[in-house]
Amino acid sequence: MATNRLVVKEEVAVYASVLFDSANGAGGQEAVLDVREQMGEIIRLMRADLQLTMSLSNPDFTPEQRKALVEGTFGACHLALREVLAVMAERGQADLLPRVYDAYRELLGEKLGICVVDVTTAVPLDDELRQLITKKAEADLGKRAVLRERIDKGILGGIIMDVDGNYIDASMISQLNRARNVLKDTTDGGEC
Amino acid sequence: MKTRAKKATAQVALGALAFNAAFPALAFASEEESGGISAILPDMAEFIPMLIAFIILWVILAKFGWPMFAGMLEKRESTIREALKKSEEAQIESERVLAEYQKQLADAKAQSAQIVADARAVGEAVKADITAQAQSEAADMIAKAKAAIEAEKKQAVADLQATVADTSVDVAARLIGEDLTEGEHRAIIERYVKEAGSFNGN
Repeated sequence: MATNRLVVKEEVAVYASVLFDSANGAGGQEAVLDVREQMGEIIRLMRADLQLTMSLSNPDFTPEQRKALVEGTFGACHLALREVLAVMAERGQADLLPRVYDAYRELLGEKLGICVVDVTTAVPLDDELRQLITKKAEADLGKRAVLRERIDKGILGGIIMDVDGNYIDASMISQLNRARNVLKDTTDGGEC
Repeated sequence: MKTRAKKATAQVALGALAFNAAFPALAFASEEESGGISAILPDMAEFIPMLIAFIILWVILAKFGWPMFAGMLEKRESTIREALKKSEEAQIESERVLAEYQKQLADAKAQSAQIVADARAVGEAVKADITAQAQSEAADMIAKAKAAIEAEKKQAVADLQATVADTSVDVAARLIGEDLTEGEHRAIIERYVKEAGSFNGN
């Protein structure tokens, strides 16, 4: 089993490395970041759609059918990502994508010396805010920070910052939800 | 008895002979004075055969009648004695049986009284148990009902609280989403970024 885990780990590293090199060779840092972002979206989609996830690794389908499924479903994604995911699907290893994503993020720091800060806000950032956030991230992490911005009206206001899974959630929706929970859990005044 | 009868018979016979021997003149005088005493004196020609016949009869009776009669009396006496004895025994037995019956009756009465007392005690105990059990069940039901009411009350309060919280938050969210300008949003973002903690968790 230990051998199997090592083999899988090695395969994950190979997938991440090939993907990174392909994206970097095709479009430099921007392409690398695009691939990272698209890979994150695909993972979210796979978590939301269990049938898709099972189909991508289903041994009842032929490798060609799984590859065709990837090509058809993720045709709009970056070519490097599409090809690597197709290979993974052919080999029945599409479920390794989250681990490939983690390894890919580590390569970002190792090979490009950057850390990616995913920033979610309700309104677009201006340059002043970008600079402020970048400085904060670089001060905290000691690396060059690259912002990946996303607009989500659902957070109502405030900001959510994510660096490799480390969240700083200062959104209004989260604060309101905390207030909602506090109000619901408060028992004072409940006795009539 | 037999001996005594024989003696009595002999005494009567001797008495009769002695009377005849002592007063023979009276007998013959009657013959001499016909028409006087002779009217009541027996005629010797008749008297002697009658006497002899009487003696013979007396001997026959003494020999055969009296023993039979004495035997009958003795048998009768024995029978009566036996009957009396049996009667006494029967009386004693009946008294004993009566005493035994009375004792059994007394025992039965005591036993029945004891059974009644036991039954009454058992009945009282069962009644007390049933009462206690009913009270306990009633207390449990009351406690459960109170608990259920309390739980429902808490649930209702919690539901109301949740509804109020949801409504309040929804109103606040709508106000925030509609009323804040982009500049205000950016000002809030700037403040939050400055106040936020470190990415390292420090």
